[in-house]
Amino acid sequence: MYAGHFAAGLALKAKEPKAPMWGILVGVGLLDLLFGPFVLAGLERVTLTPEISPGFSLDFIDWSHSLVMSIAWSAAFGMFFLRMGGRIAGIMSIAAFSHFLLDLPMHPPDLALWPGSEVHLGLGLWQRFPHGWWFVELAFVALAGAFYVSRARKSDKYGRRSFAVLTIVLLLHVSNSPWLSPL
Amino acid sequence: MTTVGLAVFVFVAFLVPVPLIHWLDSPRRGRTGGPR
Repeated sequence: MYAGHFAAGLALKAKEPKAPMWGILVGVGLLDLLFGPFVLAGLERVTLTPEISPGFSLDFIDWSHSLVMSIAWSAAFGMFFLRMGGRIAGIMSIAAFSHFLLDLPMHPPDLALWPGSEVHLGLGLWQRFPHGWWFVELAFVALAGAFYVSRARKSDKYGRRSFAVLTIVLLLHVSNSPWLSPL
Repeated sequence: MTTVGLAVFVFVAFLVPVPLIHWLDSPRRGRTGGPR
């Protein structure tokens, strides 16, 4: 999932307008922001599979994406925002953990319970429906985006250009489609 | 694309939209909701 994570961030912003948008967006992408450097450092492994959706196999992503590490990263991320209050810190932790929850339906079973665990989670929509997953994620983006826009239009505290925000997230989703993605 | 390229691509893809969306979401000047 890609744009869906950003859409979840928009919904969380609408739920807690005092939370900084940049923090929420970094939070929803945190596990993948860790995944990149972890692969470069050799801590995690990925194999390219151009013939098989989604174009790569996540062979070992336990340090960034396992259930236990997701909880740990989410808690740590929330602590960075404690000075803004417990509610904001909580929203930031939820933002980060939402990444794991939203990856669950998309990923094949490559989400370990903890680093090194033999139990792996994932419903595998990416592989079961090589094109259909995109529409499932689109539905989520539309729902979360509509929630954000409807709330933002009633507020002067955020969402100055809420339609533009939603348009960008939709464009990100289009760029990640099975027909256009470079992967 | 190589695995290194994929790792860099994912990192950049999640970071680049952040400042733009944050800016578009930010309140109008003088309409922060706080005391004026």
